[in-house]
Amino acid sequence: MDVIMPQLGETVTEGVVTRWYKKVGDAVKADETLFDVETDKVSTEIPAPASGVIAEILVQEGVTAKVGVRLAVIRESGAARTSAVIQSGSVAAAAPAAPHTPRVMPADAGERLSPVVRRMLAEHQLSPADIRGTGRDGRITRDDVAGFIVQRGAQGQGEVRTQTRVPYTVGTETRKPLNSVRKRTGEYMLKSWTTAPHVLQAVEADFYRVEQARQAVGAQWKAREGFTLTYLPFVACAVSAALARFPLLNASLDRDDLIVHQRINLGIAVDLNFDGLVVPVVKNAAAKSLPQLARDINDLAQRARSNKLKPDDMTEGTYTLSNSGVFGTLITASIINPPQVAILSIDGVHKKPVVIEGPQGDTIAIRPVGVLAQTFDHRAVDGAYSAAFLREVKTLLESRDWVRALNA
Amino acid sequence: MDSTTKRKKSPPAPDIGRETRLELYRLQLELRYCEKRAYDLFLQNLVKGTSHLSLGQEAIAAAFGVVMRPDDWTFCTYRGHAHTLARGASMAGVLGELMGRQCGLLGGKGGSMHLTDVKKGAMGSYAIIGAHLPVAAGAAWSAQYRGTGQVAVCFFGDGTTNIGAFHEALNFSAVWKLPVVFVCENNLYMEYTPISAVTAVEHPAADRAASYGLPSILVDGNDADEVYKVASEAMSKARAGGGPSLIEAMTYRHSGHSRADPAKYRPDGELEKWLQRDPVVLYRERLLKLGFNEPTLKDMEAAAMGKVDEATATAKASPLPSIDDIEKNVWADGSAAWRN
Amino acid sequence: MAELTYRDAVAAGIAQEMARDDRVVFLGEDVAAAGGVFKATVGLLEKFGPKRVRDCPISEQAILGAAMGAAMTGLRPIAEIMFSDFLAVCWDIVANEIAKTRYMTNGQITLPLVIRTANGAGSRFGAQHSQAVENWAMAVPGLKVVAPAFPADVKGLLAAAVRDPDPVLFFEQKSLYSMKGEVPDGEYVDELGKAKVLRWGKDCTIVALAAMVHRALDAASILEKEHGISATVIDVRSLVPLDTQTILSEVVKTGRLVTVEENPRLCGWGAEIASIVADECFWDLDGPIIRITTPHVPLPSADLLEDNAIPSVERIVRELREKID
Repeated sequence: MDVIMPQLGETVTEGVVTRWYKKVGDAVKADETLFDVETDKVSTEIPAPASGVIAEILVQEGVTAKVGVRLAVIRESGAARTSAVIQSGSVAAAAPAAPHTPRVMPADAGERLSPVVRRMLAEHQLSPADIRGTGRDGRITRDDVAGFIVQRGAQGQGEVRTQTRVPYTVGTETRKPLNSVRKRTGEYMLKSWTTAPHVLQAVEADFYRVEQARQAVGAQWKAREGFTLTYLPFVACAVSAALARFPLLNASLDRDDLIVHQRINLGIAVDLNFDGLVVPVVKNAAAKSLPQLARDINDLAQRARSNKLKPDDMTEGTYTLSNSGVFGTLITASIINPPQVAILSIDGVHKKPVVIEGPQGDTIAIRPVGVLAQTFDHRAVDGAYSAAFLREVKTLLESRDWVRALNA
Repeated sequence: MDSTTKRKKSPPAPDIGRETRLELYRLQLELRYCEKRAYDLFLQNLVKGTSHLSLGQEAIAAAFGVVMRPDDWTFCTYRGHAHTLARGASMAGVLGELMGRQCGLLGGKGGSMHLTDVKKGAMGSYAIIGAHLPVAAGAAWSAQYRGTGQVAVCFFGDGTTNIGAFHEALNFSAVWKLPVVFVCENNLYMEYTPISAVTAVEHPAADRAASYGLPSILVDGNDADEVYKVASEAMSKARAGGGPSLIEAMTYRHSGHSRADPAKYRPDGELEKWLQRDPVVLYRERLLKLGFNEPTLKDMEAAAMGKVDEATATAKASPLPSIDDIEKNVWADGSAAWRN
Repeated sequence: MAELTYRDAVAAGIAQEMARDDRVVFLGEDVAAAGGVFKATVGLLEKFGPKRVRDCPISEQAILGAAMGAAMTGLRPIAEIMFSDFLAVCWDIVANEIAKTRYMTNGQITLPLVIRTANGAGSRFGAQHSQAVENWAMAVPGLKVVAPAFPADVKGLLAAAVRDPDPVLFFEQKSLYSMKGEVPDGEYVDELGKAKVLRWGKDCTIVALAAMVHRALDAASILEKEHGISATVIDVRSLVPLDTQTILSEVVKTGRLVTVEENPRLCGWGAEIASIVADECFWDLDGPIIRITTPHVPLPSADLLEDNAIPSVERIVRELREKID
């Protein structure tokens, strides 16, 4: 065991060994006086810290030593005894620094780019020179980069994504890190799901009249416009008319206020070939004719799938339509797109036997029938309001002269 | 000023039983030997930081230790080794805490100045002068509110009588008639400066008792029997709903204020004179006069030393605390988490 | 739901807990017979009697020391310090004793107590009766620190503080005492350490506390209507424990952090939040962090000076218009 210079007072930093009571080779008992120390405050006898034989004396009489310096070594009797308890130095051993993976910065870091802009540029291997800044003094903002990436197309984005975070296999499982779009969608959906009390309501609508119009005008339409006329624009048209009569569903929740929007801007959920979801917006839908709605929806969907949407295409939605009908689904309980308060799912339209009430009594007919399912935020409206809205949509779909609407 | 001359000497009290006397002697011995061992361990560099010894003041802590009920509460200062031990706290726990070992009463978290053993009613040692007086009053309030008959005893030094918390706590306790006994151990020095040089009255506690409507109580703090009698009266009064007491016990510390202090400020001959009145020596002489025999006392002394040796060995053998303990026990859930 | 003032919510919270648990006792200066200098504890003496609702001498150390001694021996005291400025005269009990005792005793002693105090500016009381000192408390390990902005939070968080096993400093905003708001009827308990998002926006995330929450909300609505800047507003509610997850997740969405603090500039709580955000979501920031605070001065008394010292709605709007693009 080491014999060290004790600290004989809070302000004392050193002392003089004035006398050793033992010499090398002498036996010493614990607590027996071993040496004298003198400081500017005190002169005192110091007892031995352990029993044993003096193996070494390192600081001779008359020599000044700093507090903590080894003065002598006692070889302890009973060799197996550990002296680990005195090794307080081990306590100070620093924990190894956490592994740090620096993010790759763009080469031209001299520009005044914010951290998030630098990160996005690095992740997507972009040069700031390619992007027009719309911020103060032409600064490139986060939205500028996001807009550029959307415009540039999915190809490069996908490649870079796999460069930064690569799927890897552990045992029989493959781990595929979520990309940032996926993560952000997840965050929004989670927040919506956990903050808004969701209620699902559905009605069955008879698409007979819609189908009649499609039959009558479809081929001509396809030839003229270059794309197929689906059910979706008809539903969008009916929904925007119904929303005008039920404005509390064309609204956003802001804390204790329901902001009721004048303009009806319909978000259209578009699947990106199973690799993400975007919701471009048909602005001011109530002011648009059915053909215009059909063209706008088709244009947005095409541009979404080819990554040619502009940032403006994605903003200001007031109500959302989600269309899974192409897959023949029966009913979909959608999650509300906050801060909006409702979303409508259009599912598969199937031919079904339907009871038709007529003046001559009930008859059974084969009609194209589909479910319209609305999820609404119960903080904003109640079930009766939502149900009345759905009835309105259903009635419009089933009763309007859609051929005439198509020729408008 | 020599306040020792002003004390009334009373003859050894006959109403203290033989068993109680042996208990008083045993406690004084253990406190004395343990404090001496603490000093030795410090010289061996096994006790770090600072430590404030009560060598020479043991009679007060011992007498209260004997008088107090197991469910009474002790509140003491950074010079609190003796008061904590006097409640029956583990000696290895005390020495282990001084040495920063896992077996310490506080697992190494508190150190010499904060010894606590709640299970034994030792409700903490407080290192800010005066702070624990209102805390003791609060514990007394709790006893009063719940009607448990428990009493809080609060020990402090002469220097404490000049800080605001002393006066706040005394007034508060008197107004609310709380079951608390305040014990001023007047060892003549605040830290390095004589208390008489900085205090407007001769007896810093006893002379101020009147301000709070309390009787002035002065006692020879080096006579365990005298302290025992005064303590018994004050505790009974408190338990019976009679409110607080303020006791000033005259005593003297044989060592400096703390380990940094060789106490060179003391006039020549003062220490020697007080060593003549060493409470442990005085009590031994009294026991012999009262007919206890030498072998009995020798056996008790050997037993006390044996207990100290055993505690020292246990503490030395105890492992160091775990570094993981640093971030434990800030909160009641055991964690130190301040964020999610 | 009943509409209560912020001050009535204080009394309602205390009464709810005293009725539920007879270990809960309440002490302070002028709190019992007088019902508190801010009339926040009116009726408690009549309801619970002089044994549980106690007037104290002007002895802040004795009040908090007594609360501490009572808490460590089985009671659950609520102590009032009339003005938060007066915490300075009993700071030893708060910072050295109450905060540290559990740690120093290695968990032998727990201190389930609440210190309520009237905090903040707006009453032209001058520099010794108007400070916002929540950041003093936040700097001391071992104290939980809560500051509600709405009457409902006063009741719910006060109840949560009383039931919490650790010491809680509960800062009531004196300029909000007369504010009215819906408060749930019946037994109502909130949760410490949860921030609330009061408004969602896309351009910046404003984090505020107590009186500043209302100013941040007003500023956000002006910014949206008149300047096309849309802001998320978070009411921190509790500085310790701190709900960093809510703050971080909202800052990531907007890319900008703004703190609005009533305390003076240096070492205000916003500095700690700024540090955490800079540390943990630096690569999501789209611009410098903005701290809006009272300047680093003692508070002046004259209404003109006081109003221009603490962050105002106009100042928040101005600074964000200048700095958010």
